Amino acid sequence: MRLSLRAKVARPVAALLLTALVLLPSALPASAADPLILRVGTGQKLATLNPWHSITVADYEIFQLQYEMLVSFGQNLEPVAGFADKWESSSDKMTHTFHIREGMVWSDGEPATCEDARWTYQFVLDAVASETGYVGSGYLEPYLMNAGLKSVTCTDPQTLVVATEFPTTLLTQAYVPILPKHIWSKYTMEQIGNADAKGFFANEPPVVGSGPYTAVQWEPGQFIRFARNDKYWGKRGVPDEIIFQTFSDPVSMVPALKSGELDYVRGIGADQFDALKTEPNIKTVEGFSNGYTYLSFNTRGNQKGYQGSTSALADVKFRDALGYAIDHQKLVDAVFNGHAVPGTTHVPPYHVKWHVEPATPRTFDIAEANRRLDAAGYARNAAGNRVDKEGKEIVLRLTWPDSEAGHSTDAQFIQGWFKELGIGVDAFVTEEAKLSADLLGPEAGGPANWDMYMWGWTGDPDPMSLLSFFTTDNIKSGTNDAFFSNARYDELFKLQQRATDEVQRHAYIDEMQQIFYDAAAYSILYYDSELHAYRTDKFGGWTSQPPDSGTPLFGYGYPGYLALTNAALASPSPSAAPSAAAPSASAGAATPAPSGGGTGTPASGDSGMLILLAVVAVVAVVVVGLVLARRRSGSSQEEE
Amino acid sequence: MTAPAVPADGGPGAVARPAGRKPSVLRQVLARPDGMAGFVILVVFTVLALVPTLLVGPLQTAVTATGPRLAPPSIGYPLGTDELGRSILNLTVHATRVSMVIGFLATIVTVLIGAVLGIMSGFVGGRFDAVTMRIADFFLVIPTFVLAIILTAIIRDVVGTGSTEILGIRLSLITIVIVIGITSWSSTARIIRSQTLSLKERAFVDRARVIGAGGGHIMRRHVLPNVTNLIVANAVLVFAGAILTETTLAFVGLGDPFQPSWGQILDAARQVGAPSLGAWWYFVPAGVCIVLVVFAFTLLGNALDAVLNPKLQARR
Amino acid sequence: MGSRYLLRRVATACFTIVMIVVLNFVLFRAMPGSPERILLGRMPGVTAEVLAQTRARWGLDKPLFPDQFVAYLNSTAQGDLGFSYAARGRPVTEVLAQHLGPTLLLFGLGEILAIVLGLTLGSYSGWKRGSPVDYVGNAISLILYSMPYFLLGMALLLIFSTGAGWFPTFGMLTAGATYDNPLDVALDLGGHLALPLATVALGLIGQYAILMRSSVVETLSEDYVTTARAMGFRDDRVLRRHALPNAMLPTVTLVAINLGYVVAGAITVEVVFNWPGLGTLTVDALASRDYPVLQGVFLLLSVAVVFANLGADLLYGVLDPRVRT
Repeated sequence: MRLSLRAKVARPVAALLLTALVLLPSALPASAADPLILRVGTGQKLATLNPWHSITVADYEIFQLQYEMLVSFGQNLEPVAGFADKWESSSDKMTHTFHIREGMVWSDGEPATCEDARWTYQFVLDAVASETGYVGSGYLEPYLMNAGLKSVTCTDPQTLVVATEFPTTLLTQAYVPILPKHIWSKYTMEQIGNADAKGFFANEPPVVGSGPYTAVQWEPGQFIRFARNDKYWGKRGVPDEIIFQTFSDPVSMVPALKSGELDYVRGIGADQFDALKTEPNIKTVEGFSNGYTYLSFNTRGNQKGYQGSTSALADVKFRDALGYAIDHQKLVDAVFNGHAVPGTTHVPPYHVKWHVEPATPRTFDIAEANRRLDAAGYARNAAGNRVDKEGKEIVLRLTWPDSEAGHSTDAQFIQGWFKELGIGVDAFVTEEAKLSADLLGPEAGGPANWDMYMWGWTGDPDPMSLLSFFTTDNIKSGTNDAFFSNARYDELFKLQQRATDEVQRHAYIDEMQQIFYDAAAYSILYYDSELHAYRTDKFGGWTSQPPDSGTPLFGYGYPGYLALTNAALASPSPSAAPSAAAPSASAGAATPAPSGGGTGTPASGDSGMLILLAVVAVVAVVVVGLVLARRRSGSSQEEE
Repeated sequence: MTAPAVPADGGPGAVARPAGRKPSVLRQVLARPDGMAGFVILVVFTVLALVPTLLVGPLQTAVTATGPRLAPPSIGYPLGTDELGRSILNLTVHATRVSMVIGFLATIVTVLIGAVLGIMSGFVGGRFDAVTMRIADFFLVIPTFVLAIILTAIIRDVVGTGSTEILGIRLSLITIVIVIGITSWSSTARIIRSQTLSLKERAFVDRARVIGAGGGHIMRRHVLPNVTNLIVANAVLVFAGAILTETTLAFVGLGDPFQPSWGQILDAARQVGAPSLGAWWYFVPAGVCIVLVVFAFTLLGNALDAVLNPKLQARR
Repeated sequence: MGSRYLLRRVATACFTIVMIVVLNFVLFRAMPGSPERILLGRMPGVTAEVLAQTRARWGLDKPLFPDQFVAYLNSTAQGDLGFSYAARGRPVTEVLAQHLGPTLLLFGLGEILAIVLGLTLGSYSGWKRGSPVDYVGNAISLILYSMPYFLLGMALLLIFSTGAGWFPTFGMLTAGATYDNPLDVALDLGGHLALPLATVALGLIGQYAILMRSSVVETLSEDYVTTARAMGFRDDRVLRRHALPNAMLPTVTLVAINLGYVVAGAITVEVVFNWPGLGTLTVDALASRDYPVLQGVFLLLSVAVVFANLGADLLYGVLDPRVRT
């Protein structure tokens, strides 16, 4: 009997669906030799394996695993042995000797000696001396140049001597990976630094490194896979492999963490963070962030060459008064549900040694703000709006880059608060590239066409970079976007750069923070916190860096990875095999099947079963219905 | 968006026309169940769009919000709250105005461009027609969504993004209107052009020519009234498409948080992680509104089409 | 089919591609912000001189016409679409190629599934015209058609992935996994593919169902069908030999037209499921202002749609004897 087209199509389709439903969820057989993989999720792109092009935290994390720095960072951010195991400086702190560890080898077996370190540092010197003055993205050279690197030599294969232009203690914090000369010296600076050069060296896997893990597989933009480096000199890490996975939508990292597809996530939203607190086998950690979000003022206002909308912007009293109308704590509560720190000075509390609170802090007090504005000569007109010294109503433009969409909430608050002062706020988002161009002042060839804007900065282990942004020199380069210029600040910057006594340096940095705070060129809105979460049922021994205020991973160096233990060994039940939770005898037990040793924990087997049964039932009904219908029509035909 | 083909029999809602005097178009449409359903839904949404403040108060902002954070629906907050404590009911109703107005403006722009170019193309013919249709085909072929994303950045640069408003819509969203207009006019133009071509052969046009009426006059006084039906039916479907496009553009981040539309609410919900948090009240209302409105327009469009253009059904 | 028809179609396609290439150039030069600012943006120590040097190195200081335009045409003709900003130096062609496969897989399968299921549902609906099944079917088709793809995707993700835990929540394959045999690969892929495929198929089904239903209804009311019935031929045979071919033509057209809109869906569905295809690439490129990649995606998709339309036209010419000349 010939089947109708419908039935012909319907049957195989239904069969296919049913087969798929039954087959797909079956757990793959787990072999005993499955590697123990640490899976880390990040919202940042894994764009490069070439450290000279590192920009994001993820980029840094990637090279830190593979390449030793000359001196590494310990669990408390203290200097610990890295490529060098001993170091000392001359009494004038301008000659520094590093003893390179004996018997070290690169992951390809080649000996690792002083020559590699010398080559790397010389490369930095050459880059700075080159026509452009930098190489790649230019983020690594400042670590050495801010320490005054002058020259570097090897007196013997284990001894590196570094000379600096001025006394410094910063060489032990140089965040520069020591690269294998025998691999990298084959390429010119152009080939290493220019992504669009012919023969560009992307440093693709397998990577030759000296760190505890090296990259063995790279799916650009998706994931990087590291395998343990058996030639690493130090402690053997517990994970056999580490996989960094990028998510274009960080929100989807959390379900992956819950289902066991990830073991560690960085950068999740505040609400998801709170929701994870009640999840079994998951721990959340909130770390101080080495950075801040700020509101910047165009402190040149409408002077010639600058297109701020009012001269009031150039008046420190005006800006200071506005500072009393910003409730930093409220912003923290609204935007982060409390998971951030209200902003004050421009060296974040992360830097326990260097952060100070302002001597004359601005509290949230609308009445006080109004008083100060009145006292500064900004009266209200008949309509209740403040006018500037030229009689113009003050309406300030507030913008932020479209890459930082969250600022719209901050903007709504600021708009509401300033309204109570009689100051209008025109809030809108600006395309990032356009904003970068608009911000520039005439020194950099730009229009300075803005009043207020919001963005953020991230710092380094040493506060030097965060301080450097606001020197007068940096107006030309654009990082000093507020056009802040203070001779004493510039002087202090040079002084602290050369200070070798920590107490003395602290005094300088203290004064710098006060000067900048009082100038009110920036209002530091808040110090964003690092919100991470991790599973405790696969790996244990999670240790934050620093232990009480940091996070286990994405810090400095790699101590967090080496501290990990195998959680399965602590408990009697083996967990190397995918956890067999909830499979019942009935067909189609639902377990997600990440292959290769990942553990999958289905969220709720029971509801899953119900849904599966429902779907099967629906499909069955449809199929039966189609078949019956055909039968009926067939028989009705035969009746005619 | 393409219009789904109108079923040859007029669809499941067709009724036989009563003998005698033809009832008005509106009554015919309302006589059909799909027409009635679509109409009622749209009336409800139009009311919501016209007087949101009357119904739920002014649009809540971060500063004026008073509710708890991401709370499920309760007596005080019938649709729950978002992460800033704003009432989702308040947001969704105000977003109705934004989405509907953007859809409306975008439809006007699209239909204006499409109808004008379509009529002129069909009527004038020749080189102008060839070039215009080439361009129209071009727009039908290229991936308009990617084009829309790029155009939004460019046009925002030109139009500006301050908080000035046109017809109650901020400039950044006016950009979306323009972008939708630029990317959607071609199918309207093609449809109108077809109709114009067939009208051109009709006797009354020849007569008008003979007595010396100019091209513009003929187009305005004779062609236009006869394509109006087609324009209206098409406009309804264009409206639905405009709302879908605006929603998708907002979802990838091109909306304006200061003037949320339904798509922007969905984007905000996604960014906070509402689906994984189980905060269904954040995005379900906006999602339901979108589906309902587009569904209503589609129904109405089908009904209108069946009523106004019975002849064209055979051609589809 | 006539060679004139063929020639005309191909000529039109070529012309369209030329227009696309030109539009591509104009569009991306019109984008706000300059590339060197984007790349070197907030780097400390970058001065105006450095920026000027970079501009010069990339040929951006030359006039738009003819220098930059010619250079652009030249390199595009040679298949050099430039380098991705975000991917720090990978050629755009490489980036596109990497993301093309997953999109083709997802949307190719989705389209096929949608056509097969949609035509089946539609013909059943048309045959049972006027019955409650018909109404329900039509309503469901219209509702699915009214829904933005990503909503559907989010709902499916919520229910079946986060909720029931059946399917993985992201990606195309488990990252860094090693497989013992092709079956393992297929199973892993299948598990990841299930939900996005369902979303795509469901989103597209509506149109094909409505189309087929319409065709079936039309066919069933034709005179020759009544005759055939009277002569004892079975309905389903009549359906197969007449309704289906009649539906083929508009289906082919619909598929081609759809391609443009499928792209919009592609972008959002891929984002929801973190599917590593062109859609995710587009959104990421947009977020990181990776203009060369955006330009490349635009070019690739436009050209693909042109070819698809050309293919549809030619297929149409084969299927429909009226169109031969």
